[in-house]
Amino acid sequence: MLLFKDLMWFFKLEKKSYISGIVVLVLVAFLNLFPPYVVRVIIDEISRGVLTSVSLLHWTLLLVGTGLVVYVLRFSWRLMIFGAASRLSRLLRKQLFDHFTLMSPQFYQKQRTGDLMAHATNDIQAVEMTAGMGVLTLVDSLTTGGLVILSMALFISWKLTLITLLPMPLMAWSTSRYGTMLHKRFHRAQAAFSDLNDKVLENINGMRVVKAFGEEEAELEAFRSLSEDVVEKNIAVAKVDALFDPTIQLIIGISFFLALIFGSIDVINGSLTFGQLTQFTIYLGQFIWPMLAFGWLFNILERGRASYDRVDTLLKINQKINEKDGALDRFDNGDVTFAKASFTYPGGKTPILQNISVRVRQGQTLGIVGKTGSGKTTFLRLLLREFDLNDGDLQLGGTSVYDVTLQSLRSKIGYVPQDHFLFSTTIIENIAMGKPEASFAEIQNAAGIADIHDDILGFPEGYNTLVGDRGVTLSGGQKQRISIARALLLEPEILILDDSLSAVDAKTEKSILESLRQMRAQKTTFISSHRLSAVEEADLIIVLKDGQISEQGSHSELMALNGWYAGTYRRQQLESLLEEGAEH
Amino acid sequence: MVIRRLLNYLVPHKKALTVASFLLILATFSDVIGPVLVKIFLDQHLVPRSFNRGSLIILASSYLGLNILSAVLQYRQLVSFNEIALKIVQQLRIDVFSHVQHLEFRVFDKTPAGALISRITNDTEAIKELFVGVLAAFVQNVVFMLGVFVAMFYLDVRLASFCLILLPIIIILMISYRKVSTKVYRRLRKELSYLNAKLNESIQGMSIIQAMRQEKRFRQEFQTINDNYYREAMANIRLESLFVRPAVDLIYTLALIIVLNYFGLQSLTGPIEIGVLYAFINYLDRFFEPVNMMMQRLSQFQQSLVAAERVFELLDDHRITSKVTAPDSPAISQGKIEFKNVSFSYDSDARGAMALKSISFTAYPGQTVALVGHTGSGKSTIANLLMRFYPVTHGEILIDGIPLSRLSDQELRSKVGLVAQDPFLFVGTISSNVALSRSEVKETEVRDAVSFVQAESFIGRLPQGLQEPMGERGATLSSGQRQLICFARTIAGNPKILVLDEATANVDTETEEAIQNALRKMRQGRTTIAIAHRLSTIQDADLILVLHHGKIVERGTHAELLAQEGLYYKMFILQHGSKDKEE
Repeated sequence: MLLFKDLMWFFKLEKKSYISGIVVLVLVAFLNLFPPYVVRVIIDEISRGVLTSVSLLHWTLLLVGTGLVVYVLRFSWRLMIFGAASRLSRLLRKQLFDHFTLMSPQFYQKQRTGDLMAHATNDIQAVEMTAGMGVLTLVDSLTTGGLVILSMALFISWKLTLITLLPMPLMAWSTSRYGTMLHKRFHRAQAAFSDLNDKVLENINGMRVVKAFGEEEAELEAFRSLSEDVVEKNIAVAKVDALFDPTIQLIIGISFFLALIFGSIDVINGSLTFGQLTQFTIYLGQFIWPMLAFGWLFNILERGRASYDRVDTLLKINQKINEKDGALDRFDNGDVTFAKASFTYPGGKTPILQNISVRVRQGQTLGIVGKTGSGKTTFLRLLLREFDLNDGDLQLGGTSVYDVTLQSLRSKIGYVPQDHFLFSTTIIENIAMGKPEASFAEIQNAAGIADIHDDILGFPEGYNTLVGDRGVTLSGGQKQRISIARALLLEPEILILDDSLSAVDAKTEKSILESLRQMRAQKTTFISSHRLSAVEEADLIIVLKDGQISEQGSHSELMALNGWYAGTYRRQQLESLLEEGAEH
Repeated sequence: MVIRRLLNYLVPHKKALTVASFLLILATFSDVIGPVLVKIFLDQHLVPRSFNRGSLIILASSYLGLNILSAVLQYRQLVSFNEIALKIVQQLRIDVFSHVQHLEFRVFDKTPAGALISRITNDTEAIKELFVGVLAAFVQNVVFMLGVFVAMFYLDVRLASFCLILLPIIIILMISYRKVSTKVYRRLRKELSYLNAKLNESIQGMSIIQAMRQEKRFRQEFQTINDNYYREAMANIRLESLFVRPAVDLIYTLALIIVLNYFGLQSLTGPIEIGVLYAFINYLDRFFEPVNMMMQRLSQFQQSLVAAERVFELLDDHRITSKVTAPDSPAISQGKIEFKNVSFSYDSDARGAMALKSISFTAYPGQTVALVGHTGSGKSTIANLLMRFYPVTHGEILIDGIPLSRLSDQELRSKVGLVAQDPFLFVGTISSNVALSRSEVKETEVRDAVSFVQAESFIGRLPQGLQEPMGERGATLSSGQRQLICFARTIAGNPKILVLDEATANVDTETEEAIQNALRKMRQGRTTIAIAHRLSTIQDADLILVLHHGKIVERGTHAELLAQEGLYYKMFILQHGSKDKEE
């Protein structure tokens, strides 16, 4: 019930739908009392021999009328209440999505995509269920249940009502007991199913070993026994699940029996008419549903409550990147300065970057190299303010990035991330991601510089080819080049290539870098790479090691230093020699 | 088609089904008979006020008795139907799993693991709903409705015939609902899948969206999809409200009117049996719940069918490895391997790039042939072909002069041992990982194998030794330790031929030494095809093949190749040069 309080804000928002829906529901509950009454009147008139064709027609028409009115009313409360619930889920989804767009990478590091998806789908569905089915069940079981009991007690016989309702608590008790049992067994069945799932996962992942050792039959045997276990656990569930219907049936049967025995006694001593007895049993039949629904209600509420809590918790996480009050929205130029910058991931122990000081002037290119995990990507992401420094400062054009708005900062930067991500839409839309209003010529130009234009023309529908599951499958290199085109289209003041050329071959890399140099002579470029050839021509190269700058200088200076850079460079040269080696 | 195929799975359960159906019919019978007893009570005792104690007791006790009997039978039949459904799904699962075991490797290369897994588990789970929820419920409800009609006919043939007109109305309602709802439901599912896709993609690409400042646009796009989904959801609600409960209730009122008028009109001309009227009203009361239930299961039915389609599609994938079980299969006794002009393409239609081009070489019994070359040069492909993971496109591979394709699976798998690059461990114990399911590998063999690869020292330090349980993929062990267990697994089968895919993973020096020792020992007396990533480990090979783009470009012993000063020489210098500089 607490959940209804939590959802009050929404019920208020949809006041009209809910109030009218509930009014209609109550109306339906009232109208439903009518047909049994008609049955009683007709039976009594028949048994007293006073029924006329006129009165029969009269009652028939009234029944038809009620039937149609109830049909319309039932139709409309559904639209009102279920519709409102549907709008609630739409609203929650929107809120979640909007919230997601505001969250910093830190948020995405903690939350797994699968969980976020589950919150936005399953959990919201459970909340919708509460706002629809939950409200219906509550109102309906209270009104229908209440009205039926009242009519039985007031208009027929309160004594008979009391007697026939005697077995009902037994029903409530046993169904709730079954519920607990079912819950436990269901969990066991779920666990067995997840074991089965794990086995399949292991089998598919280890298929080489399975085949190499001819273990297919043994695997099948293991799978068979696990699936046997699933069946067993599910049968245990079925054994409890199958108790519900017969139990309810039995108890209702007993209620009917009591109603008949004691009702007949009343009929015999004249305190009850025959029609009333029939009417009574119909009401008894109508009482079953609210009885069951009430038990069900708690189930819905429990699920809804847990789900709403999860969604709410998610919505309350505040991991936005904060802007200072009165943040500026401009930079003077493309100089970038890291001043004694240090950074540790929130909650992390070891610093990722320590005391980094670098100055890159507008128009220069900075190369960042180092082993995996040395801090290259973090270095670049700090520029985008995906994370904030713990110590030191980061300036753009002489202004601290923390003194300007995120919008203006990010509008200056074109970013090509390491894990090139394309959206499953057309290629042209992917390239125009950051600049939807770009002209086709601009887009082609950017694609040309990224050396992907010719590839694109080779696809079945050129620039309008869909990417991903529903379209072409692109190679890693093609994806990277499209990501590069996407960033280039922005003609950004600062371009960041985070190991973005790893999947293209040496020749293509060379031509892309050459085009970039020409096009971006006046602008700042950051290139991080595993392959040192990508940074060879940079104005300044820094070598990161464990978050610190271990070597820095131009290519020739670093070669002369004969340290990590020089060694790695030579090794990579030889390697590429090898790749080409056998050709001649 | 799909339905018929699903129904075929019922065949093996004929007997259980017959029993369950019999129980169902009995249960329904005892259930429907209740109102008839009430009718007898009303018409023969209450109305004429003739209360014969004996017959009243009989009536009352049979009413209660039938009630209890019906509940018991009902319970039994519900459980039986569930059991049958669960067993059918189990069979289906086993069929899919077994089919997947025998699929060619190409299928695994092309199909994401997630898709295969979800065919075996989730889709079959959806089919379970079909059998448990839909089929069983339909059978039960239809039998119940039939039972009600039989009872009604027993009570009053004419009125029952009038009531028959309810059936076409209900059937038409159901058919038209199914027809319209299938469309609406499909649209709803489609919008839902768009919604999920958009959500998923946006979450994954959020850093790009934020870096490109497109948050607003994506919010709007999402809202559009969200609105579309809402629209379809509303259409669905409207449709359900139009066709399901409210409509069924309307039909109930109609039925009530028929019954009342029938008796009312009759009473105008002569006496009627009030008890029959009571019984009819009682039946009508209970007749419509099953209708509602069946209507609601219809959409689930649709979903299950789609899942079944996907499962059957996988079952119909005929790219399975032909099983060679020739009882007179020739045996591998020497371990001589010959590649004769072998070419191979991973694409089955052979139009794609050739991964191997005219590879020929011979490994004599006991020799070690090492394969070197850069990534993608074809080293692993040679191993894959020798393991018969893929059929060769052109040329022939012979073992002891016997074509590879003629060797039985049993012979090949037991005589050719693979040491994969990635040490894969199953959930189980160390012992079970070494032994696998091979009957010839007993406890002593496991112990011998473990001590042969000198893994006993670290295994001895584990709290439970060989019986130490291995979690998912042996995560508690270091990669070097896992490697050693895999070695023991291979060696326990005492293969004639070894296919070694050297691990590139970094291991600590101590384990590295153990690994190298073990490898040297394993190779003794066995023909070995070794894929080497580090030249230092294969300098003593009898033959070294240098591969480049699927071709053998150099061949010879270490010394010969160095003397050639070709590709091998460069590689050697490279590795040694860089080794000194490595920090």
